[in-house]
Amino acid sequence: MKTYKIYSLIGFLTILSILGCKDEFLERSPQATLVAGNFPATGEEAVIATNGIYNTLRIWGIYSGGFPLIDIMTDEMVKGSNPGDGVQVLNFQDYTFTSDDGNIETWYRTLYLGIRRSYLVLEKVPEIEMDSQLQNRLLGEARFLRSFFYFSLVQAFGDVPLVESSEAPDGLERTNKEVIYQDIIFPDLLFAIDNLPEKSEYANEDAGRITRGAARAMLARIHLYRGEFSEAATYALEVINSQQYGLEDEFQMAFRVATEHGQESVFEIGAVAENSFALGGNQYANTQGVRGTPNWGWGFGRPSYPWMEKLDNDNDPRLDGSVIFLGDVIDGVSIQGDGTTPDTTYAEDGTTILEIETYNRKVYATGERNADRWGHNRRVIRYSDVLLMAAEALNETGNASQALNYLNEVRQRARGDDDQLLPDIATTDPNQLREIIYEERSRELAFEGLRYWDLIRTDRAEEVLSPLGFEAGKHELFPIPQSEINISEGKISQNPNWN
Amino acid sequence: MNKKIQLFLLLFFLVSSAMAQVELKGTVTDVANQEPIPGVSIKIVGTDRGTVTDLDGNYNLNIAENAILRFSFIGYKTQEVSVNGRTSINIQLEEDIEALEEVVVVGYGSIKKSDLTGSISSIKSDEMIKAPAADPMQSLQGKVAGLQVLNSSGQPGSESNVRLRGINTLNDNRVLYVVDGVIIEGGIGFLNSNDIESVEVLKDASSKAIYGTRGANGVILITTKTAKEGEGSISISSEYGLENIANKIGVMSGPEFANYINDVNPGTYNNIGVLPDTDWQDLVFQDWQPVQTYTISAKGATEKLSYYISGGYFGQEGIVPKSDFERFTFKLNTSYQVKPYLKLGTNLTGINLKATNPPGVVNTLIRAWPINAPYNSDGSFAEVQGSNPLAAIEYNNSSRNQIRALGNFYAEVNFLAGFEFRTSYQFDLNNDKNRSFTPEYFVAPLQQNEESNINVGFGESRNWIFENTLSYNKEFDRSTLNSVIGYTAQEINSEFVNGGRRNLIGIDPSLWYLNAGSEDLQTNSNGAATSALTSILFRTNYAYDGRYLATVTFRRDGSSRFGRNNRYANFPAVALGWNISNEDFYPSNFVVNQLKFRGSYGLNGNQNIPANDQFSRIGSGVNSVFGFDDALINGASFVGSPGNSDLRWETTAEYDLGIEFDVFESRLTGELDYYNRTTRDILVNLDLPGYAGAGAFVQKRFNAATVNNSGIEFALNWVDDIGEFTYGFGINGYTNKNEVQNLGEDIGASEQIIGGDLGNGQRVTYTEIGMPIGYFYGYKVAGIFQNSEQLNEFPKLSQQGIGDFIYEDVNGDGELNDQDKTFIGSWIPDFVYGFNFNIGYKGLNISADFAGQSGNSIYNGKQAIRFSTLNFEDRFIDRWTGEGTSNTDPRASLSGINYQPSDYFVEDASFLKLRTLTINYQIPQAFLDNIYLKSASVFFRGTNLFIWTDYSGYTPELGSGNSALGGVIDNGVYPTTRVLSAGLNVTF
Repeated sequence: MKTYKIYSLIGFLTILSILGCKDEFLERSPQATLVAGNFPATGEEAVIATNGIYNTLRIWGIYSGGFPLIDIMTDEMVKGSNPGDGVQVLNFQDYTFTSDDGNIETWYRTLYLGIRRSYLVLEKVPEIEMDSQLQNRLLGEARFLRSFFYFSLVQAFGDVPLVESSEAPDGLERTNKEVIYQDIIFPDLLFAIDNLPEKSEYANEDAGRITRGAARAMLARIHLYRGEFSEAATYALEVINSQQYGLEDEFQMAFRVATEHGQESVFEIGAVAENSFALGGNQYANTQGVRGTPNWGWGFGRPSYPWMEKLDNDNDPRLDGSVIFLGDVIDGVSIQGDGTTPDTTYAEDGTTILEIETYNRKVYATGERNADRWGHNRRVIRYSDVLLMAAEALNETGNASQALNYLNEVRQRARGDDDQLLPDIATTDPNQLREIIYEERSRELAFEGLRYWDLIRTDRAEEVLSPLGFEAGKHELFPIPQSEINISEGKISQNPNWN
Repeated sequence: MNKKIQLFLLLFFLVSSAMAQVELKGTVTDVANQEPIPGVSIKIVGTDRGTVTDLDGNYNLNIAENAILRFSFIGYKTQEVSVNGRTSINIQLEEDIEALEEVVVVGYGSIKKSDLTGSISSIKSDEMIKAPAADPMQSLQGKVAGLQVLNSSGQPGSESNVRLRGINTLNDNRVLYVVDGVIIEGGIGFLNSNDIESVEVLKDASSKAIYGTRGANGVILITTKTAKEGEGSISISSEYGLENIANKIGVMSGPEFANYINDVNPGTYNNIGVLPDTDWQDLVFQDWQPVQTYTISAKGATEKLSYYISGGYFGQEGIVPKSDFERFTFKLNTSYQVKPYLKLGTNLTGINLKATNPPGVVNTLIRAWPINAPYNSDGSFAEVQGSNPLAAIEYNNSSRNQIRALGNFYAEVNFLAGFEFRTSYQFDLNNDKNRSFTPEYFVAPLQQNEESNINVGFGESRNWIFENTLSYNKEFDRSTLNSVIGYTAQEINSEFVNGGRRNLIGIDPSLWYLNAGSEDLQTNSNGAATSALTSILFRTNYAYDGRYLATVTFRRDGSSRFGRNNRYANFPAVALGWNISNEDFYPSNFVVNQLKFRGSYGLNGNQNIPANDQFSRIGSGVNSVFGFDDALINGASFVGSPGNSDLRWETTAEYDLGIEFDVFESRLTGELDYYNRTTRDILVNLDLPGYAGAGAFVQKRFNAATVNNSGIEFALNWVDDIGEFTYGFGINGYTNKNEVQNLGEDIGASEQIIGGDLGNGQRVTYTEIGMPIGYFYGYKVAGIFQNSEQLNEFPKLSQQGIGDFIYEDVNGDGELNDQDKTFIGSWIPDFVYGFNFNIGYKGLNISADFAGQSGNSIYNGKQAIRFSTLNFEDRFIDRWTGEGTSNTDPRASLSGINYQPSDYFVEDASFLKLRTLTINYQIPQAFLDNIYLKSASVFFRGTNLFIWTDYSGYTPELGSGNSALGGVIDNGVYPTTRVLSAGLNVTF
């Protein structure tokens, strides 16, 4: 009897154990994280998923790998910061960077992250039953952003793998960039123009979402880059004629906190003044912020001495609007700079000034806290750029006199109260005017990531940049990240003259 | 009436029996040495009555003339004797050799040492060096062949870095700890080492296979104390010590630093004499800080009930201000024999821990400018380049509080002959609380906090294991069979909640709560993790005639951590042993009295892989900022890498050949093993194609790499006495060769994994086939460019000039570039060892323990990383200042070309240290008898007294973190300490 009881007990426990031995017991999803598959499923989630694409724009690496590399590669900017900090960035100043460079890889990968996030919306949102106007707007936003990322890729790297879904297949090769332009970039932007509201049609709390104007301006920028002046003129003029935009009264106000999403802002990335990406901060301005005292950042991206001399020579007020000098007092804060960075760097002769310690004022944001720099809303497309694009495109298509209106609108604002400065341009000689517009872009749009591409698209890169190390036939494109080539086992090829 | 009769009869019976009683006296002695045995249990058979012998082995007892007595004592054969009217019976007990033979805990059972086929080191509590440290593992440093224990930090409460037989995987190399059968997630720093009865280190595949997918990195079984029948005592142990920094790092003094700066920028300091000269290490590190530990315990056992109960305290102030640590431990082990066939029991451990999280000043204080004074003339903190460490301490208020309870409840049912069914429920509940408050302060523009803030974090984990095993242990005529089969299920759950707020309404500690802060920009986070395992296990151990031994082990684990396509893993192992000395042909008078050969082969697993990497995930918090007021708006999208549903465990295949011997009648015992373990399917992060859109720095995990470890392991012990003089000597060690054999190039991985990020863009470790994991990679320094002839003669980097390093043109192509970077050292030691000796005379005993290792290097990151101008270590004092001044240390420079990864920063980290030196005095028994004490001893101990090493940092005892790929880079650690202590142990 006793033995019987023991056996029953053992039998019972054995059965209990085996009952527990089910596969479901081992099925454990990640907690507090959604496993991909059923998101987004509602209209509300569609908005959330679309917001997730915008998030990519604030990732540090989205801007040429975090550092203002494409400006440092120009004649307008040098590496800056402490000589010991970020030594690899120096390789961009003297064109010794290689395809192994981590910044390039970061940049490239972040752009594709944005593309993948776009596909989450593009694949799922059309299936959702929701307000169709909102649905189309969200799809328009997603398509704009996809084209924005693809254009950045094509512009920097030429032919790149074309990914057409959120699950990229293995073994992709590079697709001719023309295919990407025609199949993705142009249709996306045209769709965005058709489906997105104008800036004024968005609610205040939606400021920063992509507008029809941004899509048009982007198209103008891309056509201009491709030398398609007539289309560039068309879209730039559409932006101008939309009556949505204007210039701020004072040049430097185009970049301030007070004018965020203001009339000059066509495409702008919102940021919260917190030194944390998760809390909405954008490190873009911290990377370039004043180093030392006050501690506003790392001080990368220093305005080049020749560029400053150039503006100084004709007292262009945009010099002070673009550069923070040591000794400046900004909003009551005295700029002392970094104690261990030389205030002035001389050439070997000991007298020729190579650099002076300065900082990019275009990323300055009001406030004394370190975190305030993280709140700088980066202006990706400004109205003055649209005006200058219009001027250039019109001049190239035989409308020089019309071009002058837009060029002089920019110069007028730049000269401020001093009528003696930056007189209106009157020449209608297309060749003269072309050079003047180029020069105007250098002064107006310096440090905004445009100069390098301007030099490339206008075939001036070799002339201007070869003293720095630029090699024609090579540096028009960045190298495909070496890791990408290695992983593809050579299926993905390198750009010409890179190895 | 009836009651009266009963009472009468009872009285009559008592009186009559009293009349037949005799007073019996006697002494119990050991048959071998004639010494009296105290504590022998004497029972009158058939009754509950009895007594025990006193300290001199004497007993007396009123007893019936015809009674039968049973004399029993642990380790001796039980004897039964009929009184037969005698009044004096002296008994001689004989040692029970069988029972005395050492029993080794093997996981889900135990086995006689002579029947053991695997490689297991067993350390009893009295063999552990008790070190004044919170983590019991520090007591095992240098004690176990094959085990590397590094005492990597002097931070109070810090856990040791423990590795078995080399570096098994590129990833998580932590060993598995099992405390009284409870499988622990993490280390055992929470245990009171006074509660430990024995530690078993399972080393070869056969021993570890029973732990399946968690055994590969080694398994350490901890058994806590229980009482044996007849025992009953109360013990108090105490130790009080004072600690000091073991060695300071040599940094430049104020004048030396100013001179250096003047070399770089002539004329910076024209009057060096007036500059402050601050020694930050002297200012920060506190001398003679107390370390104390006290335990009081009681234990006792009767035939049916056994208990061990203890309470312990460990407290350490720490040499860095605000780094104190306090731990209270409670232990209760009980078992009760409910029925002859049923035993119930429990092992419970509780701890409460309070610690101050030290301010992160150790890294900054060796770099802070020595020409800056700590205080302004008004007494406020002065601005110090590199941050003022004293201010950092002042404004740091970060603490931790942990409550943890773990243990088991079990039932054992014995039935038929030799069968035992055991069911146990084991649990581990942990609650961790962190709180940190930073006031608003201003020391300098680079050292300020603009808004006060509070961060509070709560974390908990709740793990349980339900275990059912059926064992069969039977001795046959000439053979022994030990078998166990079982089923276990386990669940591991954790969750955390963190919150932060700013602008508190005050700074008083009573306000260090979230509600005292502003709701603006408050942060919070909450997450959880869960995982589960189910397992079937089996082991059988067969010994024939004490000569031929065989063990077969098998475990099948299902784990939720593995991808859906690979959910179950099998781990088989076999082992064979031959006690050749038990053979008839073995000469009985041979000097080697016992000799055993053994060998094993099997598979073990490592399931410490990230549990969520099998899934593609959508993360919330992928937020964006919209609106004129820059509002953070909720967003969600892909985060992390695309999932890999094939993800599975790492598998180690290991063989072990061993020999055990016993020479000169057990005076010399030893073991020698050859081990060879190959870990396959090691997880590697493969870069996805960039176009896959996982983002920068996101990789996908695959099972791909292979690593081999092999070496010889030995342990020798000599114990002898010359009259009353006893002495012993022990030495153990292991050699290790670590080699990466595959990195997954076949599935698209690159041929090298670059690691060892210094945070300044430099990465200094390489992992590639044919080399040890994460070896240091950089230039070899061949000298210093003395003059322009040399500058033209040798290949150089473009920025190099006179006074800079000559880096060796390793490939001889006449150019200096990345291809000339090469192997400049490995952090994995090729020999790890320990030795100890002790001498005793009467009650006095002196023992010394040494531990060491050789062949390993450390990358001195704290010298190599130069973000801005900070103080330098003293090797830069004797720098190159002109032709012929130095060919080893370059010219003064703040950063740049001489700070490239090179062997200048790789230092030999071999060391030998005197781990402990203890003088123990056992107070004579004669004296103790007067004060009713069973035993008492006092001791004096020095811990970490001497270390012989060329390494210049605070300690050469640095190990790799949870990934081995990054090697060992010293970015500054909490200094280790030297402790002088005294203690008193009393049992009554």
